[in-house]
This record gives sequence, C-alpha cells and structure tokens, in this order.
Amino acid sequence: MSDFATQVEQLRPQLLRFARTQLRNDAWAEDAVSECTLAALERPHAFAGQSQLKTWLVGILKHKVVDQLRRHTREATILVGEDGEDVDEALFAPDGHWREAPGDWGDPDAACNQRQFFEVLEACCEKLPPVQARVFMMREWLEIESDEICRELRITPSNLWVLLHRARLRLRDCLQLRWFDGAAAEA
Amino acid sequence: MPKNTLSCKEATRLLLEDEDHEISAADRIALQVHVKICFMCQRFVSQLNLMRRATQAWRKHGESDVDDTP
Repeated sequence: MSDFATQVEQLRPQLLRFARTQLRNDAWAEDAVSECTLAALERPHAFAGQSQLKTWLVGILKHKVVDQLRRHTREATILVGEDGEDVDEALFAPDGHWREAPGDWGDPDAACNQRQFFEVLEACCEKLPPVQARVFMMREWLEIESDEICRELRITPSNLWVLLHRARLRLRDCLQLRWFDGAAAEA
Repeated sequence: MPKNTLSCKEATRLLLEDEDHEISAADRIALQVHVKICFMCQRFVSQLNLMRRATQAWRKHGESDVDDTP
C-alpha cells in the first residue's frame, strides 16, 4: 500500500506537467493533480494493474482537469479577446494563394517514432495563445466533443472553429520552424 | 481562375474545418477538385495528416510512457 503511494507520488511531476499544459495555470494544475492523486490513493483497489499506473492516473487526471475547467469557466472565457492576430494573413496573399509553399514533411512515421518530436509538439502547444491551447488540448488530448467544449467555455461553435483553425495553423508553423527546418539542416 | 474554384486560402479553411466536423458535400467536391490540381495544398494535406497522426500518438505517449522524467 505505501509502495503504491510512493509510485503514485513518483508520477506527480509528469501529471503536473500534463495538467499545466492543459490548464495554463499553476494553481489549477496543482489542484487537479492533488485531486487526482487523492482519488487514486483513496481507492487503490480500483487500479487493477491491467494498464500501467500512469495510464490509469492520466485517465483520472483528465476528469479532474475538466472539473477545474468547469470551476474556472469564467476566467477561461475572458481570455477569448487575446487571440486577435490573423494567422491567415501571414500565410496567404490577398488573392488567396500561399505566400510560401508548405514544406514537405516526409514520412509521418519518421517524425512519430521520435521522442524528441513529441517534446517539440508539446513545446509548440505551450506556445499557443492560452485560449487556443485550451480548446486544442480539450479537443485533441482530452477528446471532449465540440458541443461540450462550447458549453463549458460558453463560446459559440463558430468561435470554436476559429480558435481551432488558428491553433492548428500556429502549430503547423511552429513544427515547421522547430522540427522540420532543423531536421533538414542536420541532414 | 474560374469563379467556381476555391482559392488556396479557402481550401485550407475547409481542410481545417474538416478536421473537426463534417463539411458539406458540395464543399467536399470543390475541395477535392482543388487539391487534385494544387501541389501546395497537397503538401498542406500531408502536413495535416502528420499532425493528426502525431496528436493521436502523443495522446498514447502521454498515457503509457513512464520514462520521461528529466
């Protein structure tokens, strides 16, 4: 049992990192992780050992992260005004053509098989404007349905599409800059 | 450019929209026509595919990979 507690405690830094990436707020992240570890320690028997401990904890953590988002909906939504920049403007000429051809990223497996690629992906997510990061993570990492995200953050579906649209374009730029350009330079 | 064809900017918007929700049949056809003839948007499609694959893998990576403490 105390062995179980130690194992849970050892995973805390990783859990905290995930919660921070998602919530962008240290205090909320701490709360989510504390609630997660508490829930885990209260019912160690629920961990059947079929999956890895971290998998199980992250499953709990996702719920706690969503709880935090619910609790702080108002603060979360106030941030909408921050994402004013028009990413499209930088990418497309006034006639709608690409200003610059999108890069050839090659074989998806080549990138997806490298741990460092995911570190860059995570760093790029952290660099997104807060609301874009939040909706992107809710959608992609927490796998919350779009209508639920709209409800939770009190935004309209078209707000959500715009935010996701910008988030994906920014991520693309960041990956180009921090991974694919660098990888090409090393080759 | 004929009036009924998409610009790259419009095609990109539809491709991104399609990541999140089903686009209309008419939009899909217009998109397919555009992408077929536009190598730049073909590249963008590949980039989106890679990003989709990566975020899927990332989700799993985050949930199953224990050994990434500094």
